[in-house]
Amino acid sequence: MSNSVNISVETTCENQIREIAYDGTELYQPPPTLSESLAKCAARIDFSKTSLEDLKKEEKSAAAAEDDNKDVNQFQESLWPWDAVRNKLKDAYTEICVLSDVISIAKDKRYLVLDPLLEDGDDTKPIVQVYSRKKAISQAAQVLLSGAERLRNAHSEQRSRNISDFHIELLRLRQNWRLKKVSNGAIIGDLSYRTAGSKFGMSGTFEVTKAEDALDEEGAGNSANASTPSSSSSNNGMQPKASSALRVIVPAELQGVAYIKVITQKDQEDLCTAQVNLMGHGPNITAQVGVWQKSLEFAQNVLFCKELFAQLAREAIQLQAPIPHVVIGNQIRATLLPNIQLIISLCHSTSFDSSQPAPINDHDHVLEHSLHQLLREVHYKNSHHPFPHPASAPLGPSKKRMLAGPTAADREALLDMTKTQTILEQIIAQAQHIFMRKRTQYVLDTLARDVKDPQIVSHWNAMNSPTMSCVKINIVTHGYDAIGRTSLVIHVKERSLKCICRDGRVMKLSYEPQELRDLILCQINSHQISCLVSLARYMAWTVLSNSNHLGIGKVEPLGNASSCLLASPNSDRMIAVQIRCDPQIDVKVYIARSPRQDFFPSPLVPEKFWENLGGNFKEVRFDKIEGKSFLNKMEFLMASLTSNTA
Amino acid sequence: MGVTVLQPYPLPEGKSGSHIMDHLGKRLLSLGATHAGQFLVDCETFISTPQHGTPTRAVHVLHNSEYPASTFSIIDNGTGKQVALVADSIFDLLMLKMTSTFTSKKQTKIESRGARFEYGDFVIKLGSVTMMEHFKGILIEIEYRPCITLSYCWEMIREMLQGFLGISVAKEYPTYFTTQTIMNAMGQQQLHAKQNDIYEPMDTVKQYLEHFTNYRKHVQLHGTLASAAGSIGSVMMPSTVGMGRS
Repeated sequence: MSNSVNISVETTCENQIREIAYDGTELYQPPPTLSESLAKCAARIDFSKTSLEDLKKEEKSAAAAEDDNKDVNQFQESLWPWDAVRNKLKDAYTEICVLSDVISIAKDKRYLVLDPLLEDGDDTKPIVQVYSRKKAISQAAQVLLSGAERLRNAHSEQRSRNISDFHIELLRLRQNWRLKKVSNGAIIGDLSYRTAGSKFGMSGTFEVTKAEDALDEEGAGNSANASTPSSSSSNNGMQPKASSALRVIVPAELQGVAYIKVITQKDQEDLCTAQVNLMGHGPNITAQVGVWQKSLEFAQNVLFCKELFAQLAREAIQLQAPIPHVVIGNQIRATLLPNIQLIISLCHSTSFDSSQPAPINDHDHVLEHSLHQLLREVHYKNSHHPFPHPASAPLGPSKKRMLAGPTAADREALLDMTKTQTILEQIIAQAQHIFMRKRTQYVLDTLARDVKDPQIVSHWNAMNSPTMSCVKINIVTHGYDAIGRTSLVIHVKERSLKCICRDGRVMKLSYEPQELRDLILCQINSHQISCLVSLARYMAWTVLSNSNHLGIGKVEPLGNASSCLLASPNSDRMIAVQIRCDPQIDVKVYIARSPRQDFFPSPLVPEKFWENLGGNFKEVRFDKIEGKSFLNKMEFLMASLTSNTA
Repeated sequence: MGVTVLQPYPLPEGKSGSHIMDHLGKRLLSLGATHAGQFLVDCETFISTPQHGTPTRAVHVLHNSEYPASTFSIIDNGTGKQVALVADSIFDLLMLKMTSTFTSKKQTKIESRGARFEYGDFVIKLGSVTMMEHFKGILIEIEYRPCITLSYCWEMIREMLQGFLGISVAKEYPTYFTTQTIMNAMGQQQLHAKQNDIYEPMDTVKQYLEHFTNYRKHVQLHGTLASAAGSIGSVMMPSTVGMGRS
């Protein structure tokens, strides 16, 4: 245990010795009075660093100093410690007055304007700057040189197979097909018709990658992560050498080649064959763009053919035809006319056979193009909707239907607007019409070949629709065109013909070819007689009578006989002509003369003048008469029978 | 589209409207016409709220089942001028919104309804006119489809009407087609013969409106005329031979 010790702390009260007297007494300097200490403290104030509080203290001290000033005024220079303070304050006051004056003058802006000072340059030495700049530039140059070196190496190695070709090929690909980049860096493309309006479910996406080169190891290493060309070149660090061309990967179900085969068959024989082949259409850009264009086009073709066939098969099952359509596997059979069938089949071969035989490129039938166009029309209708006027009207009805109200369309017109035809119906109608047209052409051509006497000239309209064509038939006799011609127009529709004669008669014929043949033969018949009547007028012979439908003689299988009775200008001769239409045109000509040679007056008929009543008709051997045609022969006959009595 | 003429059929005394309709229908069927559905022409009138200074205007809204997608409307300002409009069926909804300006006079809703017959190139409609379930009369509509100008086919229509109806039809054109004086583009007055114009569906509707207006106003007058014409008609019937009437 320790007791606390008291410690006293005292200041050294020793004052500074001012003087030591001779007797040893020390004269201490008196300790500074309060005012002296205050003055000392005030002298220590640095006026350049005072804060506001210090300024306030200074005011107080300045006030205290003024009191002291009166005391020590006599000691001016060194004994007045407040003098320094006073001077400093005075200077400060002067400065502040000047500052306030300057500010007020500057605020006026009439005599003084404040401008910012330009900063003085660094007072660093210029040489240091030069060195620093030189170093920076050399670093930049280093970077550029290394990049150029790399480019030059890559360029000089293999000119035809470097990274930039991939980009050029990608550019070409992008010009022709829709591509996009997905999140993991792969490039996916779309070759379906979806943006063109198709609603087919099968997707048509393909993938684009860099082409691998089996010979090059680096290429093999690159192909693993070579989906993004930009990343590969920067990530790998080594130069990718062999990856130049593109490679496209199409889905498995779209690989290969497909086409739609359309055949019209009669009782198991082929009548005409048509094959849809969308390849070979359009300009050949294979040389420019490489193999991928062809493979993508084939895949797109396969997709289109599949969609077309699926649509046709669906319609074949839904439609109700008099003879039902049959769908077996990849074939659709529809009946056009009795015994005539239309077979549509989808042929898809997955093996790439570049030596495919010629039939693919040979036939370019209208039906294939029609099928193609019909499906594209469906696509178009799906994507283009007619815009309603006004804009608040419902979207959907066609423009014709929207105008039906204000134009007071009647019920038949409205019913017609609602009728639509499916693709299968349309193609069947077109095939039927093609068949009818071929048949009509055949009938007319064989008739024109067989019947030489009046010539049958048929002019087919150059413009026609897929389901209707028109042909104008002129029946003229050579050399006698001015005398007369018989014209008729035949409208060839899908399953029937409509024939309009010059005199306004309209006849509807069915698809049997025999009916048309019979009609033309009847027309020839009436042509001969009507031309004969005109010819007789020219020859000054009188037409006593003519008839188009004689009901005499044997019943004919075809039409009726027509006849004509002519009298010579002197009335001394009469010609009777009868034309029949047995399978061949059969002409019979008879002549009578008056006065009759064999008249002898008898008790019943005594007068002589009865001999003028005309004699019997005698048949002429018409085939032996000179003349190129019927009219020619008749002209010669009439000429020879005309007697030249005045 | 063809030329349509309306002919009111005078009701003979003592016979009901439905009896006459059956009678005429049987006549047409025996002539060889085919029954082809029903038809309906109706008319609704809206009157504008009366304000002083302007006469009340009427808007007639008509429908014709022959033109199912359209609504016809005719504005009649009091001075006799008519403005006609053919619009889409949505026009009816527009009229519903106009109830502040136009009030509908439901009691004058009038319609002509009946059977429709097709006879070669003719379409004949036998309509019984009713206003609020009250029978007003019989209105026959005959349309000759191939022609579009009345002056070319008036005689044939007249002969057809006289033939199967058995009444005499006046030689003059119906009142709708009378010659009017109009101002032409030069500002001069000119006689305009309506029978030479190309016929439009609006003309059918205007004829219906004319007859409906007659039915609304002169009901009694029509009744007396009907009795007078009926007696004349009954005298005429036996004298016309070979018409195949029952």
